[in-house]
Amino acid sequence: MNIQLTLAARYLRGRKLRTALTTLAIFFGVLVLFGMNTLLPAFTRAFQGNILAAAGQVDATVTLKTGDAFDAAVADRVAGVEGVRAVSRLLDRTINLPVDYLDNDPALPDPATALSLVGLDVAQATALHAYQVSDGRFLEAGDTDATVISRSLAELLGLGVGDGLTLPTPTGEQTLTIVGLLPPRTQLGDEEVLVTLPQAQAMLAMPGLINAVETNFEPVNEAERAAVEDAILAELGDTFQLGALSSNIELLANLTVAQGIFTLLGVLALLMGGFIIFNTFRTVVTERRRDIGMLRTLGASRRTILGTFLAEGLIQGVVGTALGLLGGYGLGWLGVTALAPLMSRMIHLDIGAPVVSPALVIGSVIVGVGVTLLAGLLPAISAGRVTPMEALRPAIGAVSLRRLTGVGFWIGVVMIGLAIAALVTRNVSVIALGAVLFIAGLVLIAPVLVTPVARFFSGLLAAVFARSGTAQLAEGNLTRQPSRAAITASTMLIGIAILIMAASIIGSVTIGFSNVLRKSLGSDYIFVPPSIAVWGSDVGSGAELADSLRAVEGVGLVTTLRFAPTQVDDTAVSLLGIDPATYPQVSGLTFSQGDSAAYDALLDGRGIIVNPLLSAQSGAELGQSVELVTPTGTQTYTVVGVGGDYLNAKLATAYISQANLATDFNRTEDVLLQVNLAEGADREAAEAGMQAAIRNYPQFRMISGQEYIDENLSIFDAAFSAMYILVLFLAIPSVIGMVNTLAIGVIERTREIGMLRAVGATRSQIRRVVLAEALILSALGTVFGVIAGLYLGYVGMTTFETLGYPMEYVFPTTGVIVALVAGLLFGVLAAIIPARQASRLEVVQALRYE
Amino acid sequence: MSLISAVNLNKVYGSGDTAVTALKGVSLQVEPGEFMAIMGPSGCGKSTLLHLLGGLDRPTSGAVMIDGHNLSDLPDNKLTEIRRRRIGFIFQFFNLIPVLNAVENTALPITLDGVRPGEAKARATEWLRKIGLGDRLDHRPDQLSGGQQQRVAVARALVADPALILADEPTGNLDTRASEEIAALLRQVANEWGRAVVIVTHDPRIAAYADRIIFLKDGAIVDQTVLEPRSYDNGQGAEMVAGKLQAMGD
Repeated sequence: MNIQLTLAARYLRGRKLRTALTTLAIFFGVLVLFGMNTLLPAFTRAFQGNILAAAGQVDATVTLKTGDAFDAAVADRVAGVEGVRAVSRLLDRTINLPVDYLDNDPALPDPATALSLVGLDVAQATALHAYQVSDGRFLEAGDTDATVISRSLAELLGLGVGDGLTLPTPTGEQTLTIVGLLPPRTQLGDEEVLVTLPQAQAMLAMPGLINAVETNFEPVNEAERAAVEDAILAELGDTFQLGALSSNIELLANLTVAQGIFTLLGVLALLMGGFIIFNTFRTVVTERRRDIGMLRTLGASRRTILGTFLAEGLIQGVVGTALGLLGGYGLGWLGVTALAPLMSRMIHLDIGAPVVSPALVIGSVIVGVGVTLLAGLLPAISAGRVTPMEALRPAIGAVSLRRLTGVGFWIGVVMIGLAIAALVTRNVSVIALGAVLFIAGLVLIAPVLVTPVARFFSGLLAAVFARSGTAQLAEGNLTRQPSRAAITASTMLIGIAILIMAASIIGSVTIGFSNVLRKSLGSDYIFVPPSIAVWGSDVGSGAELADSLRAVEGVGLVTTLRFAPTQVDDTAVSLLGIDPATYPQVSGLTFSQGDSAAYDALLDGRGIIVNPLLSAQSGAELGQSVELVTPTGTQTYTVVGVGGDYLNAKLATAYISQANLATDFNRTEDVLLQVNLAEGADREAAEAGMQAAIRNYPQFRMISGQEYIDENLSIFDAAFSAMYILVLFLAIPSVIGMVNTLAIGVIERTREIGMLRAVGATRSQIRRVVLAEALILSALGTVFGVIAGLYLGYVGMTTFETLGYPMEYVFPTTGVIVALVAGLLFGVLAAIIPARQASRLEVVQALRYE
Repeated sequence: MSLISAVNLNKVYGSGDTAVTALKGVSLQVEPGEFMAIMGPSGCGKSTLLHLLGGLDRPTSGAVMIDGHNLSDLPDNKLTEIRRRRIGFIFQFFNLIPVLNAVENTALPITLDGVRPGEAKARATEWLRKIGLGDRLDHRPDQLSGGQQQRVAVARALVADPALILADEPTGNLDTRASEEIAALLRQVANEWGRAVVIVTHDPRIAAYADRIIFLKDGAIVDQTVLEPRSYDNGQGAEMVAGKLQAMGD
């Protein structure tokens, strides 16, 4: 083992650049995989922390499955259940604060971006919790406009007992007087502002409603407590659950998608890394054929040779993985630091440090080192098979690879056929498998296609190079070893395919979404709350705001969105209430089933429009019914259309009339307002009027429709630029792969090159042969890559559609052009070093090389 | 009993139209401590013969016996073991592993055999000193001259204490002075250290150092000569050999 490690280490040191580049490939793969998987769990943990914050001396908390509010009388029913000792009614609402609301200072980071307004039944709450007031006093029943906050919040705000705390509410801004301070808050989650229950109900315009009942049980042992829990659920029905409130269930859906994308990128990066390693090792085995033969001659067993190469792989794998882990953790930190302010503002969570679980570390190590060893295994085995004779007389030992292309070719064809068939099934997992099969199939049939393609391109090159000999030599070199050419081209293929696929998807998504975007947000003005698409935690406004906007001179139409959480088939669904009369005029949904007649249908009984995502998840189509969970039970609605708007495209969303929302869900708060000006209105005057109207509702920000569209489009641009950069990273391995193959080619044809030089070829002619080879190789890789990329782009579209996001297929013209140019460029780049090596060979030495 | 004996060796490369017969019915024996040279025009099969003797390749028919074992009967790992322990090899070019220094290169056969690094290094150093490279122990091949590299190869061939040394044109790449040094060294290997040495060479001057010369032509043995001891000293041996070669050519 010692000699193997010694040899491995020495050889690695002797080729520092190549070793570095190979290790880089592994480093990058592990970095992405590990880094992303520390970042996303940090988010999930923060969410869960929010949930846990409700625990305490409480045995169970009764809430609606949808998290919505319900009649306060429910608490009495819970109290009546056998085994329940005490209950406490709560109305707990997160209030998202607009930016700079508390400190009015854009320069400083906000001390808090959300607060929890908690309305307590004082008598019941103090029976269940021990509140240690350090300053002033606790709340008393009958208090008005009084609040108790924690010491930590008081310090954040710079307030004390007797000071006023102003908050935005649906009924306008309200000021509460601080009557007491509790100890500093240590739990995760938003700071609480405690008020009496009637106070909260009045402020939030939710009379007689609560959304949680904390309970304390009598029995102590596990079995009896479980029995009490069951009894409570039996009493209340299946719309209730025993669990704390969570305001951010909606976003967990987004996270799953993001996690999927990043894991995919990580896997792709590692696959490319594996390809590079495979390619590099093949180069190395060829270069060291003499040494291998020598070692075998001296008595090294096959296993010793195999071990040497595996040791080299292991060293690179370990180093690459270790660095990748470090880098990945750094990436996680970077991500958290960069995203924390954004997350804090949008969803009010402290993200904290990236999460490193032992399982993730072990998994990344196994994957990183494993890919390296696997990739190096085949070359290592072939190295072990080198007989002493091959090293002494290489010509004799050459193996013809042509027979391999027979079987491989047909397997490849079958795989491609299967991949195309998979498209028809419309099943996401099958389609994804099909994509992998397609690429694998292309790689397998590539060797057979090398000859005709090489011939074609060499004809082209002959025209370019004017000396047909050069191109012919290059063509001959490649067709002599079609498998090797194919494998090299494959590395390029994957890189180009990813590029085209990304371009295709980006193009389609942009077009698809921007169409929807323009329709949804096409009103003249929009009044947005602090958090879009997390409606549950926004404080809206009562009908007064919409009315006062209508009263402004110059305002034509005002339409609003209202929100209630619900569930369909146990999945969380955002339910939006629209005014069917005004909504289509100011805004509008984009329909995939049904049309604008659906709006009127909403007014007829219980009609519902579901968005494509919800339709895909629940299978609900036009004409079918869905069951919605309401605070008072389930309610059946009929689907009158399938369509969506931009803001809610990523979440399962449904639209019903505001009348039904009020009746079934008791919700009348407006969470978003859109305004169209009347014809010929005085813009400035209208704006001034509207600004005045929202002065008492700081939770809303007025923005012109066009501005908002531009804002959102630029988010797209940013995200996509990031994608392009990532893709570019993946291109680096392709270049390395090509350099390796060209290098092997030069080594193997040393004598030939010597002979060419001896009979009169100039150095630059030799360089041109290598360059021609490189160009043909990259043409091969690019052509196949473009084909694969176009296919994958189409697959991507189909996947999105199946998932419920309707897309238009856009041919990525720019992407294809970029790919062609990139391919050409990579070919030239890759040829530089090997060409120089080839031209620098000393003729006599080269001739003597055996 | 002979150290190594070849019985009726035939070697054919390729098949059908492109078949090439490299050796035809070659038989010979090498005694312990004997210095034998194999000569002949190019393409006569001398390197092939050497490779077969060393178990690097298998004959199409016939047998090579070492220590009573027929090499063709042995599986690859047994053959490999024999190469490690019983035979030392020296080639014309690229003898040494470029990333290892002189001591490490010399120690390779026994390191591969599992000898502990410390002991392997010690034995290698001893041999290197014996052949006069004690001041170049940690030099890598690119820091040694051609002649020095071949001397290291000789030391390496000896480090496992093999009974037989096989050398294929060991001086082909060296100038006159270095060639003669190597030839003298190999002579010493046979005389002083008692190993059998078989070299393939085309150089009469070097062949003159041997005890016995086998002449091959077109794959078959056509002549054999036994030389007077030290006939390399006065150049007469070389003249005689050259004469024989010329005669073969007609």
